[in-house]
Amino acid sequence: MSSDEHKLLTSLHVQYIQNLGASKADLTYHLTAHLRMNAIYWGLVALCVMNHKDALDKDEMIEYIMTCWDEEAGGFGAHPGHDAHIHSTLSAIQVLTIHDALDRVDIPRVTDYILSLQQPSGVFAGDSFGEVDTRFLYIAVNALSLLGQLDRLDKDKTVTYIRQCKNFDGGFGNVAGAESHAGQVFVCTAALAILDRLDVVDIPTLGWWLAERQLPSGGLNGRPEKLEDVCYSFWVLSSMSILNKLTWIDSEKLTKFILSAQDPEGGGIADRPGDMVDVFHTIFGVAGLSLTGYPGLDDIDPVYCMPASVIEKKGLRKGWKALPRRTA
Amino acid sequence: MPVAQSRAHLLSQQPQCPKIDYMHGVKRSRESREAREAKKQREKSRLTAYLALSDDVLARKANREWSKDAFDLTSRLLSMNPEFYTVWNYRRNILINGIFPSSSPIEINDILSDDLSMTTTALKAHPKVYWLWNHRRWCLENVPDGGDDADPLAWKKRNWERELYVVERMLDVDSRNFHAWNYRRYVLSSMPVKRPEATELAYTTKKIESNFSNFSAWHQRTKVLTSLWDSGKVDRTSSLRQEFDLVQNAMYTDPNDQSVWLYHRWLIGSGEDKQRIEHEIQVIQELLDEQPDSKWCMESLVHYKQLLLRNHSSSLASGQADSLTQQCLYLLTQLEEIDPARRQRYQDLAADVNISTPAQTV
Repeated sequence: MSSDEHKLLTSLHVQYIQNLGASKADLTYHLTAHLRMNAIYWGLVALCVMNHKDALDKDEMIEYIMTCWDEEAGGFGAHPGHDAHIHSTLSAIQVLTIHDALDRVDIPRVTDYILSLQQPSGVFAGDSFGEVDTRFLYIAVNALSLLGQLDRLDKDKTVTYIRQCKNFDGGFGNVAGAESHAGQVFVCTAALAILDRLDVVDIPTLGWWLAERQLPSGGLNGRPEKLEDVCYSFWVLSSMSILNKLTWIDSEKLTKFILSAQDPEGGGIADRPGDMVDVFHTIFGVAGLSLTGYPGLDDIDPVYCMPASVIEKKGLRKGWKALPRRTA
Repeated sequence: MPVAQSRAHLLSQQPQCPKIDYMHGVKRSRESREAREAKKQREKSRLTAYLALSDDVLARKANREWSKDAFDLTSRLLSMNPEFYTVWNYRRNILINGIFPSSSPIEINDILSDDLSMTTTALKAHPKVYWLWNHRRWCLENVPDGGDDADPLAWKKRNWERELYVVERMLDVDSRNFHAWNYRRYVLSSMPVKRPEATELAYTTKKIESNFSNFSAWHQRTKVLTSLWDSGKVDRTSSLRQEFDLVQNAMYTDPNDQSVWLYHRWLIGSGEDKQRIEHEIQVIQELLDEQPDSKWCMESLVHYKQLLLRNHSSSLASGQADSLTQQCLYLLTQLEEIDPARRQRYQDLAADVNISTPAQTV
């Protein structure tokens, strides 16, 4: 292994993200249009964390986002002509917030859209056809908070649902009754943080469950007896930093694992060493590194998964703790 | 041309934006420029066909066309791309607005059965695509009453029974697929005729016996047992005894398996039963004597000894609290050594043990 693989290959990753839009002659590019809005957000946040926010054209990005507005529903779709969905709506709001362009959004309308998706149980549906998941609950809470509309949410009802998803192991599932999963732990913990209701969390037990996600390779898995995957670097670490338990795993070993999953030729980060890279694992790898204090990176806010400076400026910062930024 | 239709055409002419392949476990291979070009050429006709079809479908959607033609086009498009959620929505809207109003109940049942079959095939290739599972839910929830004069629920029963069969086959292929487990819980709670929960308990036993590491099955067991105990269908005390036997067997089979220890911790719960805790401490100690570097034995002993200290301090023999405290501290020091990745946690726990039992300061 060359010594390069022990360092974050920032310029390669920046190029990789810049080139993502250049492959329109590939079938895969079009087959993944339903994830385009999310991908823009993932790419932009990764660039921000690597201090290359300007590597993608801001105006072009904002114009693209506005073409994804679904006038009928009052939310954003993943791509022009695609139906509004709560997930792409959050990504759009996050990108516009980072670019200080929320004035482009009809805030009362999009707030109505988000609130209309809350179910009597307190959980949120993803769209009008009603798939429910704590992911969508977090998305709603995050988006309403960024829009300054959290007062319009029935917070007790929302928290009641999260409580129902809590398991004996301290973790949370995607619906009431479901198995704990690190991704769902992140969304529930972060939603509770935004709602100032971390009292719902059994911190010693969840901290333990999260710490046990680290495997001998240094990588983290999402559930007991499963394989490690770079994306859990963020789901697990963000939850740990919200609970102030980041010191409960070996961050040096995790750093090595994430770095070993980089593609040293084409840039980008994969789920595991030697696999194909994608922008999803690239952002969550880089975000994980930022939380462990990797030198030269910008701070990421683990609650909103956005640049910490943006959240701080809006006065929304919660009491999470990352590891101190190391100097190279 | 309506605005929405021209919007649909933007699909093929977007500005710079990232794409994502959402790769999980796909090995990286370095293609040569020639190989990449050749692949592009091969894909070219598929790409053109895909874009034309997707433009066509989105244009019809924008025009609120609810025809059978449009329905068939969504079938084609979804077989090329099962993640195109907008097209699933459109498909359902065509059924609701265009096709169901002029169909008899039997025809509706046939259409929904066909959609269930179509997504069964797709699920085999894409077992983790949320949209496929969602579409099945919608189909099942819209099966009309009918099927048999004597039994108006006949179609519903048949479809839901088949669904349980499908989800079982999915769990045979990947016993940890959490989409499938969630879906299973959903099916069990939605079936027109509920299955007895004891049957589900037997299912988790079967899954656990074929693989002790299947935490998804252990998790399901915690939910089923809680419900059986709460409803009084199963006697809690005797069932707990059986569960401890089952988990002990698993513990001895593979003491490094996390799933088993998590389940054990659930059985102990908040630790009201002093006798039980003491008995389990003894069992685990025996295992630790056999496997002196077993992290999970040590971790569990610390937890259970702390439960004794926390919940039962008044009924401990004299000097026992001090001795338990010292044992915990000793185990935590050992854990720091054998499990250095989580060293800080063990140190924090040791600090808590010291704080919560000030009596030991001699």
